[in-house]
Amino acid sequence: MSHYLDSVRHNLRLDLSSEREVITELETHIEDRFQELREAGLSEEEAAKNCEKLLGSTKLVARQIYEAHSQGTWGQTLLASMPHLLFALLFALNWWQGIGWLLVMLGLVLATVIYGWCHGKPTWLFPWLGYSLLPVVTAGLFLLFLPKGWSWLAILIYIPLALLLLYAIIVQTIKRDWLYSSVMLFPLPIIIGWFLAIESGERFPELSMQRLNDFAPWIGLSFLALALAVAMFIRLRKRWLKVAVLLISGLLTLGMVAYYTKGMLGLPAFLVLILVMLGLFLTPALVERKIRRGDQRVSDAKGSHCN
Amino acid sequence: MAQRRELMTGSTASLLLCLIGYQPMYGYQIIKELEKRSQGYFNLKEGTLYPALHRLERAGLIQGKWQVLPSGQQRKYYHLTDKGLSILVEKRSQWQDFLTAMNLIIQPAST
Repeated sequence: MSHYLDSVRHNLRLDLSSEREVITELETHIEDRFQELREAGLSEEEAAKNCEKLLGSTKLVARQIYEAHSQGTWGQTLLASMPHLLFALLFALNWWQGIGWLLVMLGLVLATVIYGWCHGKPTWLFPWLGYSLLPVVTAGLFLLFLPKGWSWLAILIYIPLALLLLYAIIVQTIKRDWLYSSVMLFPLPIIIGWFLAIESGERFPELSMQRLNDFAPWIGLSFLALALAVAMFIRLRKRWLKVAVLLISGLLTLGMVAYYTKGMLGLPAFLVLILVMLGLFLTPALVERKIRRGDQRVSDAKGSHCN
Repeated sequence: MAQRRELMTGSTASLLLCLIGYQPMYGYQIIKELEKRSQGYFNLKEGTLYPALHRLERAGLIQGKWQVLPSGQQRKYYHLTDKGLSILVEKRSQWQDFLTAMNLIIQPAST
């Protein structure tokens, strides 16, 4: 029966405390039912088989319990959309020009992420987590501006550390639910798209301030679109609908970037960004599958060792 | 059997609220009580029960409280909230009206 409960646990995809409660409740139920069947005269094996049959498919049970819990409250929806809304405001009101606002945003993102990470990784944390990875990426880019020789040395040391940090965060997120990893990485192709459209000149990365100024309202609009997409994601119950919303809104927002940049973002770059978006979307699902297969092999090995 | 399942799907929430309305109950107890009170007519599957209970809890109609038994086992007892009670009253009235209307159609006309 522990195998049955493990299977339910793997498919639940709830936060840790909810998961523990659900599993404990099912475990107690199974124990009561098992005892009833044993008292009725069934052998241990028959009773266990009957229990599993009565409970039904682990995937179905887990999915239905997940759907009962999957819809976030309006408060959680607002919290989850908040980073996108704040960035939308940052650009729509031209606050990006003030370093103070940028530092305030960075501080707010990091504080929220630390709080959420230490308090059970709630659903609303993951959009914030995505933005907290931006300084890691940006710091790497700015290392290129160090004096000759030093920049490449710094990058050689920095890149493995940065990749290790990103990998650790992404894997932890995938273990919670691969969809949250997709939500976390969701704005990345949009941000890269804007960066490519704004970047000018032969030397990387020279930003055209004039272009950034011109595109600022549309950048704000694209972040607003991300906020709406995340809000729908949080409020929807069914998993396949959540997947559809992320995919469709991501592609539409990329289309918005291509349209409003009026050709600055070339077709090849646009297509590459679509592939990046699909990759960022699907890779967490594949990684999760691999992690689960690994966990399953370890669990089976432990089971056969005990036998 | 398929028709019975169809009827059950729409009535599960009402049945659970009714039972929990009598006294706080845990999952296994709900299944046994449902079977007993309906004289075997309602046979709710465990896989259906817990998602339904969790939906009702998330909707604020019932609230679960854990109790630790002397054996060390933990049981989650569900009880009705005020919101659940008002919904239950409403549902009872709806069912009464529905049954009255059904009986008028199903029962042969008295001669």
